[in-house]
Amino acid sequence: MRTTTKIATVALGSAALLPFLGAGIAQAADGNTMATLRPVVLNGVKANGTAMVTVKGNRIDVTMAATGLLADSPHAAHIHFGADARHECPKASDDAKGDGTINTTDGGPAYGPIVVSLTKTGDTSPKSGLAVDRFDTAPGGKLSYERGSINVSSDVAQAITEGKAVVVVHGVDHNDNGKYDGATKSDLDPSLPTEATDPAICGALSAAPAGGMDTGAGGTSTPDNEGLLLLGGGLLLAAAGTGAFTARKARNRA
Amino acid sequence: MSLSTKFGDRRGQLAAAVTVVLLLVGGGLMVRALTSPSSPPQPPSEQAIPVAQQTSGSAADATGSSTPPAATSQGGPTFGTILEPSAPVALAIPSIGVRTKGVVKLGLDKNGKLKAPTDFAKAGWYAAGPTPGEFGPAVIGAHVDSKSGPAVFYRLGALKKGAEVSVTREDGSTAHFTVDRVARYSKDNFPTATVYGDTKGRAELRLITCGGAFDHSTGHYVDNIVAFAHLTG
Repeated sequence: MRTTTKIATVALGSAALLPFLGAGIAQAADGNTMATLRPVVLNGVKANGTAMVTVKGNRIDVTMAATGLLADSPHAAHIHFGADARHECPKASDDAKGDGTINTTDGGPAYGPIVVSLTKTGDTSPKSGLAVDRFDTAPGGKLSYERGSINVSSDVAQAITEGKAVVVVHGVDHNDNGKYDGATKSDLDPSLPTEATDPAICGALSAAPAGGMDTGAGGTSTPDNEGLLLLGGGLLLAAAGTGAFTARKARNRA
Repeated sequence: MSLSTKFGDRRGQLAAAVTVVLLLVGGGLMVRALTSPSSPPQPPSEQAIPVAQQTSGSAADATGSSTPPAATSQGGPTFGTILEPSAPVALAIPSIGVRTKGVVKLGLDKNGKLKAPTDFAKAGWYAAGPTPGEFGPAVIGAHVDSKSGPAVFYRLGALKKGAEVSVTREDGSTAHFTVDRVARYSKDNFPTATVYGDTKGRAELRLITCGGAFDHSTGHYVDNIVAFAHLTG
């Protein structure tokens, strides 16, 4: 009976501690992160851009700007993260089928699955990963995206601040005919051509530098020259005073 | 009439001696102050408050994210001048006499802090960020002084709004920036979001050096001077 009570007490105690432990582990550091978006290897898109993700608890604010994308066509854009991914953009060696391009399946080992869909409106969960009617269409090839207060899990927030999340903008016009087409279907959705979902530009999010920079050794800071000038000037004034006193004394004697 | 009769009075003698000492010490201090390098210039404090961004983005902020800006629906967003990514190789700021070749890559230390160039005569750029001329805030840092005298960014605090900054890049092009403001911030309260955050689709540049008082216990200055500029050509 006594033993049971003891066990119960310990169990209850541990249970009471759990939320605190959990909070400690799940607590993601807030912060500013940034990714420079560069052409995905093999896919030949001459575009580039910058993405900024600000993490505040379980909410993120996202801005993206890019140029050189296929104009007036939907560009699915996501934040990707997988615990077992490499947390980077694909390499040429990720082309598993050896077809000379990187498709969504090829990108998986590098950046993992979709964790946030960067839609302009509505749902932002992975379910909206191919909601082509809600992504930016890059008028004139230029993409400008801004969305605040996107809810994410603690794991995703933490992955972003720890530099493990990757921003990918999709949509590659391989045959340069100004639209998504071709016989090859998307790995994600066979109703779409692979051109619509192939990764175009990509960048790993990394935390902005913390604090300022130590850019000086103090060689011109000391001595404090203004202080020296003031002190020197003061002494010279005092000299004028004592000099006058001396002269007066001398005059009095004469 | 001998000197002893002229300055026979003791107080007169003492005063004369004090006068000589004061002249020597005072003059010496002034000579030292005038011949040793003076403290680096500091920007006026009122510039620490950022001026409102002059793009349409701020209006979109105020109205909330539910309504996308009208500019994106037709004709495309209006970006300022943007260049292809290319790493910086030289930096010139004519108004403060900066002309430096060979811009080193800067990374972060184990605490996530941006490392300064090891060479006091070189500027460095934050290589994980945007290159000068592409979207976002490119960051170039350099020392204000070495242990013996002025370094590359010695006069950064004297830089004025409207001044031109030219960055020569690896691809042979030159990115021309115009200074928006120069501010001084305590390193303890560094405005990370302002310096490294979103630039509303503009290509911008940050020039960073040290400022304020020098803390002999840490061997570092207590403040940073940051110049903000945007691409104009």
